[in-house]
Amino acid sequence: MVSVLILTSITLPWIGAILVWAVGNNRPTLQHGIAVGFSLASGFMSASLFLYPSNEMALSIPIGGAFGNFTFVPDGLGVVLAAIAALIGSLAVIFSVDYMRGDRQLGRYYSMVLLFIGSMVGLVLTSNLLLMFVFWEMTALCSYALISFYNDDPKAVTGGIKALIMTQIGGIGLLFGALIAFSSFGSYDISIFLQKANTLPPALLSLTAFSFLVAAAAKSAQFPFQTWLPDAMEAPTPVSALIHAATMVNAGVYLLARFYPAFANVPGWTTAVVWVGVLSALLSAGMALVASDLKRVLAYSTVSQLGYMVYAIGVGGIFASQFHLLSHAVFKALLFLAAGAVIHSVGTRNMNDMGGLGKQMPFVRNVFLIGSLALAGLPFLNGFWSKELILEEGLAHGPLWAFIGMMMGAGLTACYTLKCVWMVFYGDQRTPLHGHDAGHFMKIALFILSIGALTSWVLVGPLGTLMELTLPFHSIKAHSTGEILIEVLTAPATLLALLVIASGFALWVWRNQLSRITDLMTGIAEGARRSFGFEEINTAIVKGTNSIAEFIRNTQTGILSVNILGILVGLVVLLVSIAVLSILGA
Amino acid sequence: MDPLTAFPALILTPLLASPIIYLVGRIMARSGKMTPVVGWITTFILTVTLVPLFFISQAYSNQISIKLLFGTIALRVDGIGVLLAFTVLVLSSLVALFSRQYMDGEPGEEKYYALLVAMTGTIIGLGFATDLFNLWVWFEAMAISSVFLVAFYRSQPGSLEAGLKYLVQSAVGSVFVLIGIALIFAATGHTDLAKIQAAINSPTPILLTAGVCFVIGFGVKTAIVPLHTWLPDAHSQAPSGISAMLSGIVIEAGLVALLRTLGMLAISASLWGVILLSASGLNMLLGNLLALRQTEVKRILAFSSISHVGYMLLGFGAALITGSLDGAAGGFFHLINHALMKGLAFLSAGVLLYAIHLSHDRHTPLTIDDLNGASRHYPLPALAFSIAVFALGGLPPLSGFMSKWQIFVAGFSGQNPWLMVLVLFAALNSVLSLAYYAPLVNRLYRNQCAGEEKGDVPISWTLLAPLVLMTLAVIIIGFYPALLNDLTYPAAQDFLKIIR
Repeated sequence: MVSVLILTSITLPWIGAILVWAVGNNRPTLQHGIAVGFSLASGFMSASLFLYPSNEMALSIPIGGAFGNFTFVPDGLGVVLAAIAALIGSLAVIFSVDYMRGDRQLGRYYSMVLLFIGSMVGLVLTSNLLLMFVFWEMTALCSYALISFYNDDPKAVTGGIKALIMTQIGGIGLLFGALIAFSSFGSYDISIFLQKANTLPPALLSLTAFSFLVAAAAKSAQFPFQTWLPDAMEAPTPVSALIHAATMVNAGVYLLARFYPAFANVPGWTTAVVWVGVLSALLSAGMALVASDLKRVLAYSTVSQLGYMVYAIGVGGIFASQFHLLSHAVFKALLFLAAGAVIHSVGTRNMNDMGGLGKQMPFVRNVFLIGSLALAGLPFLNGFWSKELILEEGLAHGPLWAFIGMMMGAGLTACYTLKCVWMVFYGDQRTPLHGHDAGHFMKIALFILSIGALTSWVLVGPLGTLMELTLPFHSIKAHSTGEILIEVLTAPATLLALLVIASGFALWVWRNQLSRITDLMTGIAEGARRSFGFEEINTAIVKGTNSIAEFIRNTQTGILSVNILGILVGLVVLLVSIAVLSILGA
Repeated sequence: MDPLTAFPALILTPLLASPIIYLVGRIMARSGKMTPVVGWITTFILTVTLVPLFFISQAYSNQISIKLLFGTIALRVDGIGVLLAFTVLVLSSLVALFSRQYMDGEPGEEKYYALLVAMTGTIIGLGFATDLFNLWVWFEAMAISSVFLVAFYRSQPGSLEAGLKYLVQSAVGSVFVLIGIALIFAATGHTDLAKIQAAINSPTPILLTAGVCFVIGFGVKTAIVPLHTWLPDAHSQAPSGISAMLSGIVIEAGLVALLRTLGMLAISASLWGVILLSASGLNMLLGNLLALRQTEVKRILAFSSISHVGYMLLGFGAALITGSLDGAAGGFFHLINHALMKGLAFLSAGVLLYAIHLSHDRHTPLTIDDLNGASRHYPLPALAFSIAVFALGGLPPLSGFMSKWQIFVAGFSGQNPWLMVLVLFAALNSVLSLAYYAPLVNRLYRNQCAGEEKGDVPISWTLLAPLVLMTLAVIIIGFYPALLNDLTYPAAQDFLKIIR
């Protein structure tokens, strides 16, 4: 039964992808229908996996040789993310019915989205490192294809290729780990790796641990790889919601959580993870504060919240990180889709041109508010519980400087969130924009997600039990929902955090009165606007590679005599090398 | 079918059919009506030659030794030859089918088909050759037939220049092969590969020099850097079906010849392994860097072939140094895959080239700007091209990823730090290659077409069927790489038997 569920939740979207493409772009209604149908089916299948969680291998497809067996395990870590991917995936697809109406290349859009959903589900359910790498790359391919969906826009194409290259380079870290596992243990199986990791020579284990950190940081757009995510906002907004907020960017966090037991004792690893988390959280919160593009604010916010999850893993709070992953997936998808509704109706992403739109789009304003309050971490919304849990873990098990940093981050979060809400929905209209409220399909998706943002924290008890039962290497201790609620409400970290959040709000509300302080920070603000120099590094690398390539073109002279000279040069070099090598060998 | 009759049938069918096809075509051309018959005969001959190959490989897997001795021609069946023959026959039959419309009405069409069949036959013979002289003769015959195919558009100065460079540089290579053979004969007194290997006791300078000559000589054909300079011109100026053949199998035939001769000199296997690995690093990097700045589509694909030879060299180099079965199997797997993927890329680019330029009698090359919005009018070639280049870039779930993975596994077995670094370098190069592949796909799927209205040039099924078949193959092998195990593992085992 379980193997059927796993197989269908991965392959149904893929079948849907082929069908959507085969049906052709001159039957858009049918395409919309197929997409919604197959994504909902996958959502249903992956949600059903909650009924059968286990840490036993549920499905195995033997390939053999250098490829191992393709195995799948429906354990707590995997099933939660699979359900998130498929369910939020279907909501994003439902939203797309309104958002992408009238597009000429609907087939390409939906097949890539469906291909993505299947691959993401596969990524988190598989227990074979090679297969995980395969799905990792497939999600990167879909992400690239969807970011650059509007091929006629050079910014979109550049953004897509940038995302592809950066996540692929990071992926080499995962490739390294998979190859080490196979060459050391003869198997790609993750549980075997977790079991035997401490038998690896320390240098090798260390190398693997840090390569995985690189892979995770690149995929989740963490420091120092955060520059691709803001540029990925050229994608159609449902894609931004699904891939770049709720699912694919979580793959890096998932990787760290999955392999934490193997690497926790590697000297310096957990510290590095904490550093990555804190730096990402703070730097991008700063960048979110000064950004004027609505989607870029949300993108930076995603990087920042992922930083919280990474920080949680670094201090050993695996459960807290996964709980925040769940909350964040829900409220960030909500925010992105609501932003999409705004952008779709007014035609601009620049917040400076917006203002007072709440009157024209009350429904969208209300759901956006719910999402923002969850993001800021206001009590009783899902973001509050998960963020407080992380801060508690951080205070108890992590370094103090990191805790202080993350607190500051919470304050900044509150500030930029309020700024965002205010600039878009309140105040006077800065430019004459005509907005209309969301369409029916958009409203359905937004409504469901806002219910989620209000209630998903209820699942914390069952989530903990699920993980305790199915993750033998992670030593997670479960508590019931009630216990966790009380724990959070009575923790000192919570009170501190609420104070900081309140001051974050205050910072925005009294920004004019505090202008002397804010003037002092114009230098930092300018740096934030310029992504603290990381964009410059990226551009330099691209320019450098292109100039080297251009320089090497000189070797292709087109002159026959020069070519033959090349052959003779090769001959001489080879003769000399052979002579040297055989003398050295002998 | 009795393997002892199947083997001569396999070797002789293409070689005998070639002049017959030429005669038939010449007669029909003389009488005024150049019917499609010649193309169909060619496709039929090439497809039907797979039948004796099937029987031979069955017999070989049952441990039956199959030899052919005809005067000085000595051929023997082994896994490597079967793999090469299979690849060349599959690719050439698809190319022949493709050329039905592509070469329709070209002056000298009958020569094209005759030469295509002849080239196929010589490559099959090369795969089964067991002595040096044979190897060289088949190698030269392949070179001669391919030169005329490269320079096929004899009214175009670009084609002639490309053909001339190919001819002269190939000849330089052949001279070195001959010098190598002479040195080996002087040192051992034999030309049979197995006898030579048995007669060698230690790596004397003469033998090492001979080995260097072979690397250079066959390396020109295999496009090892810095001997590769003929390749971009030849592969981009040739008719698209021939570009597919050149990149897909002719370079690989050179590689197989190189492997046979280095196998014979296996006393210094680790030395040759180091040479191949260094070459692989150079090939991968330079192939990618040179492709990065190109604006002509076929030149991009040509430079990319140089980089893919690097992957094959990585696999075989690892096999030579560590004796890894995965290294050799991965190298052979990548050989077949590259034929499929690069063949698909060239053929689908060829359809676009045909539709946009050739059908209007223009011999201008296909530039990346021509790709803009091409998916609107030519959705199937655009999709096929996209899948081909993503496969070449090593993206799963396509076949290119699987063969590269097997080679990477070989590089890590034994955990030799230098090999591991080289594998990571190879992985980085795969990422770099996406930097020039991905923009091509982006251009294809634009909404706005480039310049003038491309109209609707009728594309017959003979152009599309090969694309569909190869696309399906690339996807299916990507999902289930074990499909080709029956081809790659026997070849790998035979290779390891030689070098041990």
